[in-house]
Amino acid sequence: MQGSSGRPGSDGTGSEGTRPLPPGHRIGSWEVTGPIAAGGWGTVYAGRPAAPGTDAPGTVALKILPTGGLAPSQARKVAEVARREVEFGRRARHPRLIRLLDSVEVSDPDQPFLDGAIVLVMERAACSLRERLGSAVTGAEGARLVGGICEGLAHLHRSGWVHGDLKPDNVLLMADGSVKLSDFGLVTELTGTHGTHGYAPPMGTFDYLPPERWNASLSEQGVQVRPSADIWALGIVIHQVFASGASPFPGATPVSRAAAAQEYADGRASLRLDPAVPPFWRELVTDCLAPAHAARAGHTAESLLARIAAHMATADTPDTPDTPAAGKPRRPRRPRTLRTALTAAVVCGALAAGWWYAARDTAPPRPGPDEVSAAAAGPSSGAAGRVRVFNAEQTCRDRAGGRDPNCSLGLAVDPLHPYTPDNVVPTRVWHGDVLAVDCQYPQGLPIVDETGLRSSQWFRVRLPAGSSGPGTAWLPAVRTKDRPSVPVCPRPTPLP
Amino acid sequence: MRGIVVHLPGSSDTGGAGEPCGDAVTLRLAPGEVARFGRGSPTTPVELRLVDAAISRLAGEIRVTDDHWQLSNHSTTHSYLVENPEGAGEYLRVPPRRAGAPIPFEFSRVVLPTRGSATVSFQVYAPDHVYLDPDGMGGPWGSRTVTAYSLDETATYFLVLVALCEPRLRDESPVAVPTTPQIVERLGGHPACPRLTARAVSSHIDYLAEEKIRISTPAGADARRDARRNGKREALVGLALRFGLVREEHLALLPPRAGNGPRDAEPRTGGGNGAGVVRQTGE
Repeated sequence: MQGSSGRPGSDGTGSEGTRPLPPGHRIGSWEVTGPIAAGGWGTVYAGRPAAPGTDAPGTVALKILPTGGLAPSQARKVAEVARREVEFGRRARHPRLIRLLDSVEVSDPDQPFLDGAIVLVMERAACSLRERLGSAVTGAEGARLVGGICEGLAHLHRSGWVHGDLKPDNVLLMADGSVKLSDFGLVTELTGTHGTHGYAPPMGTFDYLPPERWNASLSEQGVQVRPSADIWALGIVIHQVFASGASPFPGATPVSRAAAAQEYADGRASLRLDPAVPPFWRELVTDCLAPAHAARAGHTAESLLARIAAHMATADTPDTPDTPAAGKPRRPRRPRTLRTALTAAVVCGALAAGWWYAARDTAPPRPGPDEVSAAAAGPSSGAAGRVRVFNAEQTCRDRAGGRDPNCSLGLAVDPLHPYTPDNVVPTRVWHGDVLAVDCQYPQGLPIVDETGLRSSQWFRVRLPAGSSGPGTAWLPAVRTKDRPSVPVCPRPTPLP
Repeated sequence: MRGIVVHLPGSSDTGGAGEPCGDAVTLRLAPGEVARFGRGSPTTPVELRLVDAAISRLAGEIRVTDDHWQLSNHSTTHSYLVENPEGAGEYLRVPPRRAGAPIPFEFSRVVLPTRGSATVSFQVYAPDHVYLDPDGMGGPWGSRTVTAYSLDETATYFLVLVALCEPRLRDESPVAVPTTPQIVERLGGHPACPRLTARAVSSHIDYLAEEKIRISTPAGADARRDARRNGKREALVGLALRFGLVREEHLALLPPRAGNGPRDAEPRTGGGNGAGVVRQTGE
């Protein structure tokens, strides 16, 4: 089994600080069930309580921040982030904040890459808001998402904290569709004489940094942040929710968008919001993106929340052209909220595609267009997990939407049999396709991809309805970056 | 994104022949802003006036784009050179009538030809250049949380910063921060900056403090100039170490030390502005 669930080193795990943990590995009173994602800061695993019967949820996310193998100052930085998260997690609890269940400092001298690591045990989410941004959002659903973010922010700000890194990656959607803020590594407590500001490490995400940050000076305590920084980021996020992920600022790169935001803040460019954003939300975005802190400070998360509630309570929402309820008689507010919550859970399930997010920077390279392919549309009810197909060839990733035959990938009939033409099913798959997975087989024929990545692990995936053949086929694990925690398949029956 | 800084040295700044006479000019341009340069005239206003008969009234313009800048050459006959003073001879030629040539250097010297062998030049700094964090490489960085202060670890200013941090990184002295003459001496043998002067070290420190790390000026900054300069370098060292901008591995960038004796670690006080520089030759 060794290495069977290993994550490739090319996906950002790069440093020797991370090494895959096998399912069953114990961390404190928790047990690893499978990897979720890896990023620059660490690795996230799915886990469960090692001893059943506690009141902890059945599945959790284990965020592992390794410190071994890092220079002391880097280790300090990691420890500082972890410290902020733990301290915050201990003091803040709210239905709109991802709960920190436990934190464990690993002491395991036999495994240098794990020794000294800090493990944050958190509620497990279904996906991040980032996953939802590719597709259009109805007015009611958008309101529910934004409302949830505002509730979380309002609670944070009321309790004297600034999130400091609000972005769609850090807004998580739970299996029931509810919204929770996560990643409190840059959370800052408001100090100041009047609790107006705090000091955060000089870090952030380009697209979400308020314009004043670029001129902010750095002191020993860090860089000054105020709740209005979160409000600016909220303005960007609201725009993204209603504009299929597009930033309100033009530019192909985060740097050019940051420059465009600066031009706007300096009064040399006007704010040009995407026409897809409905009028009510345009107004909200514009207020959140008030160029100066002073003007923005007038709009608190609380006041924005009140406006959203008032908006949703008013009769018609003509600004929601794609609302399923459009044209139908207006229903009382409560049932509608409930219905959209259910919708959210379903949509998230279809699009999340197994990217069970739970941490900062855990996103592997976002593969191709967010298109749900014919294969993905296949029978997936009851599937144990999902994988998104990854093509090691960059050119194929770039034109994944085009279904170029030269970029198609085959699925095997038998993972123990050489990958020859007679061992490949007629159905082809392309980069970005999402496939329903039943189980995985760790000891198939080893497959080496174009970059030299090698794995003998295979996933049994379901074929779309109507395809000829047995209904399932085998995808080599090197053809996806996902490692869903799925059961081990029985030994495949060899080809006749 | 704060934009760029354009600096036209005054004649007294360099004393060199061919430099434009008059006072030094410093312009700060934000993203999207444009500055025209040339001889200028009442009908052809320019933001950067270059006094030389051979230069046209409107010789060209600079436009800040993203984290860099673009140079347009309005001359129909002359190419302009953009030199990277830290690039060991690295330069770009911007041909006549070229519009919006992107300039990739953080430090640039724009050189315009004049009659004879003389040239006119001005400097452009682009401190916004973004560098990715050393940890978490690979994959898209667009939605990644990054350190919002990026330093070019191959630049001379970074060497100066590492040299400033060296005693603390080596745990030799928790308080002492090297003086300018000590930095000159320490980096004297470095191939990247063999002719580093005390004045250059001071301007690198100013650039770091004002443009790159943007230290907040400590209270009571109206103290003596030397004390202020010392406060600045102590603040720089404190911040660079506190936020991991300079780390143990960067010590390898410095030339080997002449002797490992306590001489190097000996804290010196004072630190005038270039006075009493002792240049060390060889190792």
